Amino acid sequence: MNKLVTRREFLNLLGSTGGASAALKAGAALGLLPAASIAKPLDLLALGSNNKKVAILGGGLSGLTVAYELSKRGYDCTILEASHRCGGRIFTVRHGDLIDEIGNRQYCEFDEDPHLYFNGGAARIPGFHHNLLSYCKELGVELEVFVGENNNAYFQDDALLDGKPIRVNDYKTNIRGFLGEMLAKSMSEQEMDKPFTEQEAENLLGIIRSFGDLKEGDLYTGSSRSGYKTGGYIAHGVQKDIIAFRDLLQTQLGNQIFTAYEGDHGPSLLQAKGGMDNITAGFLRKIGEQVKYHAMVSAINVSNDGVEIAYDQDGTRHALKVDYCFSCIPTHLITGLEHNFPGDYVKALKYVRRGDAYKAAFQAKERFWEKDGIYGGITKTNNRSTGIWYPSHGMHQNKGILLGAYNFRGGLYHTNMSQQERIEAHIKDGEKVHPNYRNLVEKPVTIAWHRINHMLGCAASWNRSFGTWTQEEKLMFDTLQAPVHGRHYIIGDQITVNVAWMESAIRSAHWALEDLDQRVRTELG
Amino acid sequence: MTLYGENKVNGKKLIGAMLTILCWLPFQLQGEEEREPYDDRYCTTCHGADGRGNFGVQAPRLAGMEPWYLKRQLENFRTGIRGAHLKDIEGMAMRPMAVQLTDEGIADVVEWVGDWNYIPAQVTIEGDSAVGKQLYSQCATCHGDEAQGNEMLGAPALRGQNDWYLVTQLKNFKKGWRGSESLDNYGQQMMPMAQILADEDSINNVVSHINTLGKN
Repeated sequence: MNKLVTRREFLNLLGSTGGASAALKAGAALGLLPAASIAKPLDLLALGSNNKKVAILGGGLSGLTVAYELSKRGYDCTILEASHRCGGRIFTVRHGDLIDEIGNRQYCEFDEDPHLYFNGGAARIPGFHHNLLSYCKELGVELEVFVGENNNAYFQDDALLDGKPIRVNDYKTNIRGFLGEMLAKSMSEQEMDKPFTEQEAENLLGIIRSFGDLKEGDLYTGSSRSGYKTGGYIAHGVQKDIIAFRDLLQTQLGNQIFTAYEGDHGPSLLQAKGGMDNITAGFLRKIGEQVKYHAMVSAINVSNDGVEIAYDQDGTRHALKVDYCFSCIPTHLITGLEHNFPGDYVKALKYVRRGDAYKAAFQAKERFWEKDGIYGGITKTNNRSTGIWYPSHGMHQNKGILLGAYNFRGGLYHTNMSQQERIEAHIKDGEKVHPNYRNLVEKPVTIAWHRINHMLGCAASWNRSFGTWTQEEKLMFDTLQAPVHGRHYIIGDQITVNVAWMESAIRSAHWALEDLDQRVRTELG
Repeated sequence: MTLYGENKVNGKKLIGAMLTILCWLPFQLQGEEEREPYDDRYCTTCHGADGRGNFGVQAPRLAGMEPWYLKRQLENFRTGIRGAHLKDIEGMAMRPMAVQLTDEGIADVVEWVGDWNYIPAQVTIEGDSAVGKQLYSQCATCHGDEAQGNEMLGAPALRGQNDWYLVTQLKNFKKGWRGSESLDNYGQQMMPMAQILADEDSINNVVSHINTLGKN
């Protein structure tokens, strides 16, 4: 058992590590944060009669972006896609679709209905991912709101209140109450003296009181923010019981309550109407004829005046000679090709680690969560399935597709199981939230990105230590970002510092396109 | 570098193998005409172009591997003699694929692999090959003086394999991640032999020696 500290001791601890004045300084630094940049149109030279051939290896989003932009400027583009579909990790699963996991090939058995789909890869678009959103507009991809945070969804941890699921709202309201009370009490005379004016201090106290919904004497005595035990419409509401502070502290999920929906995951979020692969479809409406499917690259040979590519298609090896090559083949698969890349490039390719993100979904026989007041959003659970996502679309339809598991950094846990074991694990985890889950869900699909044919991984990871990059890692990143002989570019979210976002894939494509453009302008004088 | 030309992919054979596999898939429904057919070359996704191995996913070189050895390993993966140890992440990834294979499927894969051009593996590790040569004398009893392998003894060729893969497997044998299955007769012989290599240096040294025997 850990040593207990009183609230006062805890506050002293906070004070000794900086306290309010440190926080004020931190606040001043906010002005330095970069503003979310607005998408600016790419200023690329149109080729006119100067014919240039380009090979794009992989029909992922970055590859499609390059093909689209260069085709507009008169480049002759060919996309070689190893699998049966474009989009890479933009992957929407519907009735009859193939999930080509090596050793566990699945066909999706969802009912055939436009709203019954599952985004097995990219699933959220933050409102400030301007480049992606601007393509959606340009390509006529309809958008709708994606509900991430939902106060009516659940919070479930075996360690919290005997594993009983509680509403996100109940957790949040109570934890805010107690935190607010502690903060308010810490606003002692001497602390108010130094950093704040009287008015500032009063405003701050106002914020703290409203943060925690504090009552007289700056006490947290419960709140109606998470609704009432009974009443509230015709009859007067009866306040819910407070969940004891110590009980709230029994779950490690608590730290997620104020961080899970910030930054790229913060509201407002969007999704492509009808499935995220409508973004892929938008690009393909423009450049679809340039894609060769089931065309698996086997060799890349770069020289000063071009790139020679070999690929297998229809049982034959083909040659393609181009001026420039853009590859969104995952780094860990590029290493398996014949190539003539320089040593430091190969070293960097070998250094990048592949991600093991894993998702699973069920078709629900009925939209039971709606009867429970849940419309979209995410239930968080402290187990390997990590939660349940309720669909943001198809409200009040008969059925719906639920995400039954999403493990971004620990996906190998389920990947290493058989299909039956995976499904049983997700059902067991789901039953803790929705007691009749087992009988309410059917037709499961699992997406183990680590084993998906022609992908064998999810988000790349560059840095070995959490959050920081070594100088060597930064150098290797620069090496892979720079084109070999000015001819071969690696693109994709894998070559950004914010992996796993569609916006990142596009940004990397734009970086490469602008670099290419400078070279072409120089060459054409 | 041979980019293209001689090495045609044998599609017919492949489709034959894949059709055989198809019959095994319990989730394959009949009469679903829109479905993406089962037509892919799974081996080369992991094992690299023409099966020359891929460091990025730690998959070994298949091109040049003896047919009898490849067959035995596919069977071992299928039964769980290999690829069942929880620490053997790559082996665990191989196993579900092997489980799909019938005897005919294995025979077809082995034949397909035999079609691939062998190109000598690159040297990627550093070690003292002179010291390694001394250590190798014990290995030679089974694997042959030139690491050419010995089918009678069930010992595969080592030369020509990617050196990083040999290093990984020696470590796996040492740790018991490979060879500790009671039914793995050959692995059980190899496991104690791997203990002779005291540390990482010894492993690198012996593999460096094998690199000097490179298959042409």
